[in-house]
Amino acid sequence: MNLETKLKTRKFFAHLFLILFILMIMTPFLTVIASSFSRGHFAPSKLFPTEISLNHWKYVLGIPHEEVVNITTGETRIIKADVVPILWFWNSIKISVIASFGILLLSGTCAYAFARMKFAFKEQTMTGLLILQMFPMVLALVAFYTILEFIGQFAPSMGLNTHAGLTLIYLGGVSIYIWMIKGYFETISTSIEESARIDGASPFQAFIMILLPMSAPIFAVVFILSFISYMSEYPVASVVLQTGEKWTLAVGANSFLYEQQKLWGRFSALAVLSGIPITVLFIICQRFLVSGLTAGGVKE
Amino acid sequence: MHAPLKKCLKWSLAALLLLPLFYVNFLMYMSGNLLMAIGMLALLVIGIFIYANSKGYVYRYLFPGLLGFFIFVIFPLVYTFWISFHKYDAKNLLTRERVEGILRSETYEPEGATAFSYQIFRTEKESDYQIVLKAKNPPPPPAPAGQTAEASAEEDSESTAEAAPAPPEEKSFISPVFTLPAFEKNKVLVLNSENDMPEGDPLAIGDITRGKLHILLRDIKLQLPDEQIVGLSSLREFSTQKPVWSLKDDGSLENNQDGRIVRPNPETGFFETEAGEKVGVGFRTWTGAENYSRIVTDERIKKPFARIFVWTFTFAFLSMATTFALGMFLAVLLEWEGLKGRKFYRTLLIFPYAVPAFLSILTFQGMFNQEFGAVNEFLGALFNISPEWNSNPWLARLMILIVNLWLGYPYMMIICTGNLQSISKNIYEASAIDGSNPWANFRRLTLPLVLPPMVPVLIASFAFNFNNFNLIYLLTAGRPRMVGGSGIAGETDILVTYTFNLAFKNSGADYGLASAIATILFVIVGILAWLNLKKTQGSAS
Repeated sequence: MNLETKLKTRKFFAHLFLILFILMIMTPFLTVIASSFSRGHFAPSKLFPTEISLNHWKYVLGIPHEEVVNITTGETRIIKADVVPILWFWNSIKISVIASFGILLLSGTCAYAFARMKFAFKEQTMTGLLILQMFPMVLALVAFYTILEFIGQFAPSMGLNTHAGLTLIYLGGVSIYIWMIKGYFETISTSIEESARIDGASPFQAFIMILLPMSAPIFAVVFILSFISYMSEYPVASVVLQTGEKWTLAVGANSFLYEQQKLWGRFSALAVLSGIPITVLFIICQRFLVSGLTAGGVKE
Repeated sequence: MHAPLKKCLKWSLAALLLLPLFYVNFLMYMSGNLLMAIGMLALLVIGIFIYANSKGYVYRYLFPGLLGFFIFVIFPLVYTFWISFHKYDAKNLLTRERVEGILRSETYEPEGATAFSYQIFRTEKESDYQIVLKAKNPPPPPAPAGQTAEASAEEDSESTAEAAPAPPEEKSFISPVFTLPAFEKNKVLVLNSENDMPEGDPLAIGDITRGKLHILLRDIKLQLPDEQIVGLSSLREFSTQKPVWSLKDDGSLENNQDGRIVRPNPETGFFETEAGEKVGVGFRTWTGAENYSRIVTDERIKKPFARIFVWTFTFAFLSMATTFALGMFLAVLLEWEGLKGRKFYRTLLIFPYAVPAFLSILTFQGMFNQEFGAVNEFLGALFNISPEWNSNPWLARLMILIVNLWLGYPYMMIICTGNLQSISKNIYEASAIDGSNPWANFRRLTLPLVLPPMVPVLIASFAFNFNNFNLIYLLTAGRPRMVGGSGIAGETDILVTYTFNLAFKNSGADYGLASAIATILFVIVGILAWLNLKKTQGSAS
């Protein structure tokens, strides 16, 4: 066997492997799409639905539809969701966007101070921020519950079972983003800011008018990362938000899958409907993220 | 001219922002939360100082972020640490003061109590009510007692608002507007005769029973102008009540009915008699390191804890190792310049990372369903086997690792690609001349170059999986259940899901033990984070 045919067989097997691997990776998506269009609630198992039905989609979008409630007698009933599941998607988007903007504001200003200013215990504060943040949010739930209950006594709109309360808790998770933004600020030369300062700009003006526009990429990365992590957050939301109309997507989607009755069809329709926009957003922003992730080297 | 105006505007804006905060602070103080009120006041003063004084300039940037961090990271941490030294579970839930308050608000109907008939009115707001009491047996009866009682009872049942002006000896006591169900048990409403008579018709007895109001009304106590306490004694009647417990000087409580004396026992967290008889509900109490020692001594906790501890480390390590291996392999493969369509492959391979993880995890839960899932359907058709993913602990663990591999390899691939691209291509040319194979190339050249900068990423991945709550909780919820445990622990539980179950998903609601485990977890992950930091700083310099 000469070197060229050896290389060709190798290439062939590489392509074959990659194609098979990608097909395998994609099956979950295909089964979920199939399951969302199926009649009845079957666990994702087929690549194509045997009997096409739009009932699950109608349910998720809050459109009244007829559904068989008794299989033996064939009795049907008009069904409409009490809480339209798409509302959970909206709740999630709302909370994640507001929390992510909050994170940008809080971590951006902090990172500026850490990167450009001198103050006592700077290094220790930075280290402390990173290590203390390792305390998993799940385990602080007892404390979160107590805090929100307390706040709720004085400001009911920010207490338990409110989106504002949940957003407040999410705003605590700033430290990793402070580190990422600070790292980026430090790669930018201070010379332009310094010359602006000589021309009479205040540190705040230098920050807003010079440093911020130059750091747009890192802010995009932080926004996307925090947005995605808040979209996926389950435990805190499940304890703080107690009534159906307040739920986020993660809490609502899981509510379809009780131990006794797993409503796979409805779950699948909701998963496809909400998963697609987020996935598309991610693919579009991929380029940013790859550079951000390799630079920061920290996930979550 | 402009400068003063600007200054004026600035200050009034600041005042507008601060006034509500001070008002809330005042409310906090008024409601008896002295410590919290002082804390908030201190933060407000610090905030004003920082933003008004040029000396605090740096902190203007730090204050908002660090404040959030302090309230929602540091405080919960300290609070959890503090709880871990307490007996704090479903049986011992409230503070001692609250339990004492509940005991002291318990009442009984003494001999010769005065009975009152009542009317209840619903206000325009659905859940708000007003109540009107009338003495049934007025003490000095002007007419024969029986008759009056009957007459008033009759009148009550059909009386309307127009009949309100009652005869002077038959005084009505009118309550303020209150909400049902009551927010706190045994809330005391002060009645007087001067309140405005509610408008509209009183609720009929049918409305009261249908709305279960007679049950909700039991939680409400009424106070007459002469300071007597009146409570619901039957469906149609209120009667005067006396407190069951009265506080003695030495802090113990005496039962007015049978003379028992109870004292709070800090050991058990209950109010107890000398003989150890428990009364009422328990309260939180300091137990020192007992929760920690329970982890190593209590058989029912020790056994599952040890197994979960080992599995948590195994899971985190294997997850890190498998995702890294696959991610690295794909990254190296896609760096092969001769391969066509690399960009296309790369985009598709990132897909699992692009989809919100919780949706993928829940989908896998269905796909790995033993009877109906896609995986077993596929395996059944191909090899005629159907593994018990849900009931066999080892297969369940394997399933978790497979799903996590699917979720985690794209991230590793992205990072590895970034590192690979920074390696100079020249080094391979030298070895290509030697005619070495790709594996030898990888092992001898690529790996030694890529591994060192990957160390922080690997540690971060380990720490992340160590507390990967979503994966375990949404995929298996810890199932299958561990045999011989206390019923809470599962074979696939990791420490963080086990802790969550201890605190929130179990009738015991053992916050004390959960907090102790949480503290241990934090120490482990904290050390990892510190190591990671040292490594990152090491590789940076």
